[in-house]
Amino acid sequence: MSKHGNRTILVCCGPGCLSNHSMDVYEELKARISQAKIKAEVKTEVKATGCHGLCEKGPLVRIEPDDIFYTGVKVSDVPEIVEKTLLNHQVVEKLLYHEPSVGRKVISPKQTRFYKKQMKLALRNVGEIDPSSIEDYIHRGGYKALGRVLSELSPDEVITEIEKSGLRGRGGAGFPTGWKWRQCARMQYYPKYVICNGDEGDPGAFMDRCIMEGDPHSVIEGMVIGAYAVGSHEGFIYIRDEYFLAIRNMSHAIEQARDKGFLGKNILGSNFDFDVQIVRGGGAFVCGESTALMASIEGKVGEPRAKYIRSVERGLWGKPTVLNNVETWANVPVIMDRGAEWFSSIGTENSKGTKVFSLVGKVQNTGLIEVPMGMTLREIIFDIGGGIAGGRKFKAVQTGGPSGGCIPESLIDLPVDFDSLNNAGSMMGSGGMIVMDDRTCMVDVARFYLTFLSEESCGKCVPCREGIRRMLEILNEICEGRGQPDDLDTLAELGEMLKEASLCGLGKSAPNPVLTTLRYFKDEYLAHVNEKTCPAGVCKNLTVYYIDESQCKGCGLCQKNCPSHAVEGQRGQPFAIDETKCIKCGSCMDVCRFGAVRIRGRDKSWK
Amino acid sequence: MEIIIDGKKCEAQYGEYLLDIARKNGIHIPTLCHSDALPGQATCRLCIVEVVEGSRRRVVTSCVFPVTREVEVFTNSEKIRRMRKNIIRLLSARAPKNEFIQKLREEYGLLQETRFAVDEKENCILCGLCVRACEEMGIFAISTVNRGIEKKVSTPFDEASDVCIGCGACAFVCPTRAINIMDENGVRHLWNKEFQLVKCQKCGEYFTTREHQEYMKQKFGEDNNYTLCEKCRKKAAGEKMAECYRI
Repeated sequence: MSKHGNRTILVCCGPGCLSNHSMDVYEELKARISQAKIKAEVKTEVKATGCHGLCEKGPLVRIEPDDIFYTGVKVSDVPEIVEKTLLNHQVVEKLLYHEPSVGRKVISPKQTRFYKKQMKLALRNVGEIDPSSIEDYIHRGGYKALGRVLSELSPDEVITEIEKSGLRGRGGAGFPTGWKWRQCARMQYYPKYVICNGDEGDPGAFMDRCIMEGDPHSVIEGMVIGAYAVGSHEGFIYIRDEYFLAIRNMSHAIEQARDKGFLGKNILGSNFDFDVQIVRGGGAFVCGESTALMASIEGKVGEPRAKYIRSVERGLWGKPTVLNNVETWANVPVIMDRGAEWFSSIGTENSKGTKVFSLVGKVQNTGLIEVPMGMTLREIIFDIGGGIAGGRKFKAVQTGGPSGGCIPESLIDLPVDFDSLNNAGSMMGSGGMIVMDDRTCMVDVARFYLTFLSEESCGKCVPCREGIRRMLEILNEICEGRGQPDDLDTLAELGEMLKEASLCGLGKSAPNPVLTTLRYFKDEYLAHVNEKTCPAGVCKNLTVYYIDESQCKGCGLCQKNCPSHAVEGQRGQPFAIDETKCIKCGSCMDVCRFGAVRIRGRDKSWK
Repeated sequence: MEIIIDGKKCEAQYGEYLLDIARKNGIHIPTLCHSDALPGQATCRLCIVEVVEGSRRRVVTSCVFPVTREVEVFTNSEKIRRMRKNIIRLLSARAPKNEFIQKLREEYGLLQETRFAVDEKENCILCGLCVRACEEMGIFAISTVNRGIEKKVSTPFDEASDVCIGCGACAFVCPTRAINIMDENGVRHLWNKEFQLVKCQKCGEYFTTREHQEYMKQKFGEDNNYTLCEKCRKKAAGEKMAECYRI
């Protein structure tokens, strides 16, 4: 263990850890360390950083350069960390991460499969630096790319470099970034604008949030480079208002960048002027759509417009505009720093670089991850994600946010890139990844997403507003056991129409959850409609729980766990469920170790 | 340049909208939200057509699709008809009793909607033309409120608007006559508000609201024209012109 130089303690203050009181851990560490007067050889600095990724095991604390990684740290653990690790160079065994693949606890994050398989480009500084310190960012090579761009390269050369890198927009559609910039640079009318889309609205997604919170300067640096390339002098960062920490860190970073001369007039003595301001979004999902976002910045109702004339030609206030997602902007400085050739060596033929995902749902290691494009779903879910929580069976993974699709187990070896996901009927989206186990009803999942979309559609065009409404109506009835034989055809036909006739990307992708579940899980729909049963035991109207007497060992675990006292019987004897009291929560089924709790359809003759 | 619509060669200007070109050439494309005075709503989506460029075939909304290349267009292909039928089906589930939508339904051979829950009193298809008209008037009394399936057109908080002048432009442009406007005993009822109607100085018929008249005077200056109804105004203008030429 190092006895020389400085020691840094990085306390994760990302969204997951913060909600588990990591800020208290940080404060306590600071207080204890100054109390303990660690004069010794090692000067210790405590930093509150952005998200470290392994949210499931938070709050996380990393000690560098000792390379020690503590998980689930509570305020009450702090004295022990100070006493043992900081003063006596010992590890605190109970706080170490248990790595399932080797079956023991490991000290370094590099020994975990969760971190080992990742590759961090957009997240390169997140979790490594104090986001409120521009010095930290500069120390890790920040603003170096900007300096080189402004002093050595012409705007055209910058665009060529981005084109060669093969970078595609990380916000969802995967539009080639270099091509977008080139088109905007060609426009000969001014002013031009650059926009950063930080209106992340997908349920379960927090990639952009973590970048803005944990490494705001990389976004600013990317935007200045982009603005220089297209000839813009004014930029906007649109952040949803719920992301208060992102807004705070970003505002602070902008001020620091202005003070240091990275923003404002005559940046780094180059004669190039550019400044950026934050616009706080009201939190409408549809405002993540580029033209709706621009309408919102202009102070209008956040509704999209037809995009036959692209924003690079007529965008914000009718002027040429380049809009990119947070993650796209964060990738720009890395590309300019390390070169297009290096960047394009990562990933697949048509999807270069890495992609950040928020891995959530029924997976062991929920968290924020970044992997090279082309990694298979299996590697992501089972190696990085550690497999399905509770040892259950994998059923499907939903990618691309609420309007993405559900990918079944048969496609688990699908490489994750823009084209493969599109071909499977889903999409990359902004990078939400929701894992589902065998206790998930796919009809119910489709219903869940359509409910979300029915509330979040802007309601401007008929196909999206009325189409989603009627598809949801059908799904609700199917889940309640009132599905009709030709409902599946109606769903498919409405879905096809929505995909083509809707005004914007939201409507065009809204049927994806329905169409993919129809494609991969048709049997489940048929069971709902024809047999009036929900195979996963989720749709309450269609589910009757019962105990198979021949399997029941009479252990009583189900009775103990039933919240509505519906399980009757004596220990040692087979138990039975009183249907009139059962609220169909499935707790009995989850706890039964003998598979004795079963589901049957509403129609009692069906087994 | 020349484009082909349903097999017919049509002359087109660069940037001209497809719907306009089709109409100039006597090709019928159904629309609800299109108004020549307030173009570009693109919300009803009835005017979808298929555009073919080389091997690329795509569905576009003809009222806002600018022609920039020589393309071939199909306004009534099997796919378009199928999708248009579904749009009409959705519209007729929303406003089942509306005469304009019933007409469309008959044109496309659709039966009365039975699968979905319907609201028989609904007539509005939320095309947004009324809101546009109010904005163009410079009044901004109504707007679409809420989003998604809860969306509607309304005054702020559904209360009588302070700024509404009762001009009725909203009702005039509405393609489905969904806006309740009623003139009764010299009073106009519109958007939860009552307006005093004024009489034409010539023929003595009620023709607009006092607020509207005042607004026009303020905007364009004192002019006797605002005291006349549309008919009498036209007549007066004609007489004036005739006088000019008589000399």
